[in-house]
Amino acid sequence: MVSKESCRNEIRAAIEQLSERCLHSAAKWAGEQLVGIEQDPSNFTPSNTRFQRGSSSIRRRFSTHESISTPQPSVGFSHAATPLPEEDEVTDCDLYYLAKSYFNCREYRRASHVLRDQMSKKSVFLRCYALYLAGEKRKEEEMIELEGSLGKSDAINRELVSLERELSALKRTGAIDSFGLYLYGVVLKEKGNETLARASLVESVNSYPWNWNAWSELQSLCTSIEILNSLNLSNHWMKEFFLASAYQELRMHTESLAKYEYLQGIFSFSNYIQAQTAKAQYSLREFDQVEIIFEGLLRNDPYRVEDMDLYSNVLYAKEACAALSYLAHKVFLTDKYRPESCCIIGNYYSLKGQHEKAVMYFRRALKLNKKFLSAWTLMGHEYVEMKNTPAAIDAYRRAVDINPCDYRAWYGLGQAYEMSGMPFYALHYFRKSIFFLPNDSRLWIAMAKCYQTEQIYMLEEAIKCYKRAVNCTDTEGIALNQLAKLHQKLGREEEAAVYFEKDLERMDGEGLEGPNMLEALVFLATHFKTHKKFEEAEVYCTRILDYSGPEKEKAKSLLRGIRMEKTGFPSMDMEHFPL
Amino acid sequence: MAGLTRTAGAFAVTPHKISVCILLQLYAPSAQMSLPFPFSSVSQHNRLGLYLLSLTKSCDDIFEPKLEDLINQLREVGEDMDAWLTDHLTNRFSSLTSPDDLLNFFNDMRGILGSLDSVAAQDDQIILDPNSILGMFVRRCILAFNLLSFEGVCHLFTSIEVYCREAHSSSAQYDASNDNLESLIQHDQMDMEKYIMDKATEEIKLQKNASGSIPFHLHTPEALFKVTEGLLVTRKEKSRASTKKIEATPITRASSSTADDNLVDESLFLRTNYQIQGFLMEQADAIETHGSSLSSSSIESFLQKLQNLAPELHRVHFLRYLNKLHSDDYFAALDNLLRYFDYSAGTEGFDLVPPSAGCSMNGRYEIALLCLGMMHFRFGHPNLALEVLTEAVRVSQQVSNDTCLAYTLAAMSNLLSEMGIASTTSVLGSSYSPVTSTASSLSVQQRVYILLKESLRRADSLKLRRLVASNHLAMAKFELMHVQRPLLSFGPKASMRHKTCPVSVCKEIRLGAHLLSDFSAESSTMTIDGTLSSVWLKDLQKPWGQPVLSQESGSRKSSTFFQFCDHLVSIPGSVSQIIGASYLLRATSWELYGSAPMARMNTLVYATLFGDSSSSSDAELAYLKLIQHLALYKGYKDAFAALKIAEEKFLTVSKSKVLLLKLQLLHEHALHRGNLKLAQRMCNELGGLASTTMGVDMEQKVEASLREARTLLAAKQYSQAAKVAHSLFCTCHKFSLQIEKASVLLLLAEIHKKSGNAVLGLPYALASISFCQSFNLDLLKASATLTLAELWLGLGSNHAKRALDLLHGAFPMILGHGGLELRARAYIFEANCYLSNPSFSVSTDSDTVLDSLRQASDELQALEYHELAAEALYLMAMVYDKLGQIEEREEAATMFKKHITALENPQNEEPNMA
Repeated sequence: MVSKESCRNEIRAAIEQLSERCLHSAAKWAGEQLVGIEQDPSNFTPSNTRFQRGSSSIRRRFSTHESISTPQPSVGFSHAATPLPEEDEVTDCDLYYLAKSYFNCREYRRASHVLRDQMSKKSVFLRCYALYLAGEKRKEEEMIELEGSLGKSDAINRELVSLERELSALKRTGAIDSFGLYLYGVVLKEKGNETLARASLVESVNSYPWNWNAWSELQSLCTSIEILNSLNLSNHWMKEFFLASAYQELRMHTESLAKYEYLQGIFSFSNYIQAQTAKAQYSLREFDQVEIIFEGLLRNDPYRVEDMDLYSNVLYAKEACAALSYLAHKVFLTDKYRPESCCIIGNYYSLKGQHEKAVMYFRRALKLNKKFLSAWTLMGHEYVEMKNTPAAIDAYRRAVDINPCDYRAWYGLGQAYEMSGMPFYALHYFRKSIFFLPNDSRLWIAMAKCYQTEQIYMLEEAIKCYKRAVNCTDTEGIALNQLAKLHQKLGREEEAAVYFEKDLERMDGEGLEGPNMLEALVFLATHFKTHKKFEEAEVYCTRILDYSGPEKEKAKSLLRGIRMEKTGFPSMDMEHFPL
Repeated sequence: MAGLTRTAGAFAVTPHKISVCILLQLYAPSAQMSLPFPFSSVSQHNRLGLYLLSLTKSCDDIFEPKLEDLINQLREVGEDMDAWLTDHLTNRFSSLTSPDDLLNFFNDMRGILGSLDSVAAQDDQIILDPNSILGMFVRRCILAFNLLSFEGVCHLFTSIEVYCREAHSSSAQYDASNDNLESLIQHDQMDMEKYIMDKATEEIKLQKNASGSIPFHLHTPEALFKVTEGLLVTRKEKSRASTKKIEATPITRASSSTADDNLVDESLFLRTNYQIQGFLMEQADAIETHGSSLSSSSIESFLQKLQNLAPELHRVHFLRYLNKLHSDDYFAALDNLLRYFDYSAGTEGFDLVPPSAGCSMNGRYEIALLCLGMMHFRFGHPNLALEVLTEAVRVSQQVSNDTCLAYTLAAMSNLLSEMGIASTTSVLGSSYSPVTSTASSLSVQQRVYILLKESLRRADSLKLRRLVASNHLAMAKFELMHVQRPLLSFGPKASMRHKTCPVSVCKEIRLGAHLLSDFSAESSTMTIDGTLSSVWLKDLQKPWGQPVLSQESGSRKSSTFFQFCDHLVSIPGSVSQIIGASYLLRATSWELYGSAPMARMNTLVYATLFGDSSSSSDAELAYLKLIQHLALYKGYKDAFAALKIAEEKFLTVSKSKVLLLKLQLLHEHALHRGNLKLAQRMCNELGGLASTTMGVDMEQKVEASLREARTLLAAKQYSQAAKVAHSLFCTCHKFSLQIEKASVLLLLAEIHKKSGNAVLGLPYALASISFCQSFNLDLLKASATLTLAELWLGLGSNHAKRALDLLHGAFPMILGHGGLELRARAYIFEANCYLSNPSFSVSTDSDTVLDSLRQASDELQALEYHELAAEALYLMAMVYDKLGQIEEREEAATMFKKHITALENPQNEEPNMA
């Protein structure tokens, strides 16, 4: 385990360097992790706990550590130490300051112009980075300006070509630092050269691991586990963060959770890790866990908007209207023009059954970020509710085209087609969704239902699907019941009895009652009677007697029959048997 | 969704249009002179005017010429003042240095328009009538510019810069080729008076441009077509009816081939929906006609480009699907098909009905099902296809889309008749739809029949002429292959006319081909479609009439792609395709009925008339038929030579049958030469080509095992051969391949004959004959009769008379239509009969025998059929021996020996054709 102290020192220096280069989001991320590190208990009185994050305590923390802020290599048992790079001399400090302040005021072109003749690595990076951002900004604008009748025109970042030329020249001569490599990677990625981009980013993170931007760019380029494993990354604790997030994207949730758990040993109070853990838990459908985590997060960081749409999904699933509206109100006041906020509000309206309004907010989310995946899927759900199948299909398809692994959207597509009476067509989509999430019983059940429709009526296939669902621990218990019924329908009494028994067991275990229970009991009683297993039959019959209704009478007559067959007594004697 | 809310295309100002405006300014300057400055004569002035007219008309095209191309054309038009024109053009462009200059430019443009009400203009004044085509163009440009936001002006400004820069960089290359062009132009004196500005010509040109560099097969006079090829040069040619066309085309070719480069060019300007849709349809057609000879990756890259430019244009996905379909990429095809229908709900592209027209709420997913079904069919998944089509039937019934239903039923019947579906399995058991469920108790043939009838009825009532026609053809095929039985036959009363009816086949074929006359009455049909796309395109074409007009507000009526297609191509591709198919079917039916000349003639008609408008697979089929004919009637040498040509032409076609035919020919050849090992190998390879899925590629499988049995027979492994033939007969019965049954029976008779079991062979031969009778397979019947006669003779020489009578009955058919082998066999057999007849004396009637034998040996030489040839020569030698003609006997004997040695050492003279 790396020592917390060394981590702290590394991050502190990194924040300095990152903000010096205007990599604000990376600096923000690093800052979050910095305060996420548990304090050394020896330095503090027990009253200085994390939860009293008053301004005074933070100030005190910093003051205590000023004395030992000299960078020292951290020695972890599995982590090679990466020395902090030394700041190269900026030839004209003044110009750099000016450029930086321009940059901070979002005047990117001006910033790059100021640095036009500066040759130090830092200046070159800032100039290129500013140029890149200027190009991005222009691209966004052009996209709206050029929006034609057939959709958006292909606006491109016009600076990419010159940037690539310059950066590759720098790379050839070796006059490039890790930040430059990061930018080069980004440019290459935009140009569609993924392999080179990956190589450049790997080089960047290996020489300077604290730049989270580089890691996340790299993560977006790892679309399969093979690619991820083929990366040649040197060991550093930042790599653990990267792996955790990459695993999550690759839907390896348990692995990802394990990583986060490990990281929590050092960064025990990191909001980031908590949110990511919540995400993984959400994918594992542990909604209660997720809710607890998010409640904690909101207590610590009440103005957080990131990832809050996930929380709203949980609240939606729990049908917690009030909590959801409270959350929506809060994020609305914080920043209403964030796709997350729009999604939360959309979710709220959806829960209230006002689907048109929900669609409006999802649309707004998509206006803000055309690639905001969950908004497409959620909008699809809304259209399904509104019975507008083509629109729903369109929305789902867009989600799928943005991220082909989005099993929810595939599932939605299947559902939409099934709704419009095309079960066979829908099967393909269900298959797709199952391919991406083979361990979810709901998907298997949906597919089985599809096979069961009277249009297709492929019961054998349906049985196979239900069996898979049972293996995936079907929580709602549909599969067992259906399996039993299907077997019954196909005249396979033995199999039907086995599944009815299993279903009964499950219901007993969960303490459930209902028509399914009665059905199972009646079937089993009759089945065992016809197979002359009177002991079992009697047990089931007596259980039926607890219920009222026609089944009770049937059970009585069954019992009579059993006794008669067992003893050979004439039936008249049984008439007086006290029941 | 976004895809549904877009507006119909607008008129956008582009650098090219500004060029045209600059030229217009030159043509009609606001200063009112009778003849503006640079022009030296009125005709020169007129010429520029006509050129401008054509330019303005083509401005709605997808591709705009680059400045370079424009300058090249100007050089031709401008003659001595071309330098001045181009200089002016470039100078004017370079004077546009700020957005303000653009604003001023368009303000100036306003000046060249005359006022709307000033009709009383003086004679010598040049005023651009605001209502003329040129005036309209200027007005539209001005309007479009005025509508631009400042951002739009900035974009226009940057694109002008790019436009000029491109011309600069390439002008250096141009000078080199300039001389050539210059010299050509000197030959011509532009004679404008003779040149009649034909509206259609312009439109063809539009279309030509739209189709990129892919040749466009129009059934228009060649001269007209030439105009489309060469923009101006050939136009001059035409007026002089000169012979220099050949010279002219290479140069103009070069200019037209740049269109292809444009495909992937950054400066591809998006035009209206109609143009793009039309363009895409052209591409779809090209994919279909050229098969995979069109490089799939080049189409792919162009589609990628288009998709980047217009992400809401979902039709791109459909094209990609077609492309993948033709390059046999199942997964990509499936993916793109689904994606297309997910996005567009089957409504985009063809009807162009605004979403308010009611289709947005439920979509047209039944079309998706239809397409998916046909895709599965093509990839050889009959069961999947059947399920999907059943669902399509159900959904079309639910949404009462009768058109789609008619198409689906047709597709289904096609599937059932093409794919061998064992009659024992209940294929439609899972469906509950009314149409199909009635059929579930019937045999596959009866189901096919019902489906066809049903589809035909619906298509007829919906006036889907193409579908009616193709249904008639399918019906003809059905009548050809199946005995019409009453659908519900109970007891002995049911009529048992076990015969196919050639008259009804003929009737159906004729009805199918009637389309041509019908078509002229049809006004609002579209013309371009590939078979797959066409099926559902056609179904969507009805609502065109009004929506197009109402959206287009009249002014652009003539420019919409679909409408002008109508009046310029006399016969649209799909119609000629169907008519062509009727000829192919005619050829096939004559083949079956046993008339070689008729079959050959019909195939030739097809190959010459419809070869280029048809899809590549049909054209291939015609070629193969011709080659087969050659092999049968002319021997292998010619056939292999022809095959080489066909190979070059068709090997790139996906699912090419050329290889199949090659193997067949090689097998036949090897069998005749007695090279059994080679024959066996060919046979195995043939079997390996067929898909392993049950019921798919039945024809190939039957062919392969038939040949296997024949190889075994030639190797004298009679029991093995009989076993193979028996199991083949069972397969044929299972999949009810009636015609194949007849030939299998004949083969069985043959096997028994060869094995010396004439008695056992007789019933097979008789059964084969009765099959042939009920299907009217005259030639096969003749050959079965020959076998029967041979079997009789095999029973003993006392049956020679009966055998001879049988033979003589079949002789006319055999000699008139039979192939070389059959004829030779008949001749030899005739001689044999005579010789074995005890009452026949060689010395008196030697000529009857010798003639036949000579004939036989000649024909067998061509066929290189050593075994039979040896037999004929042997008989000949014997006869000569009897007659005492020693010399002739020796000659025949040496020939005999040659054939025998060749037969025994087949490897010695390996065929060089392989």
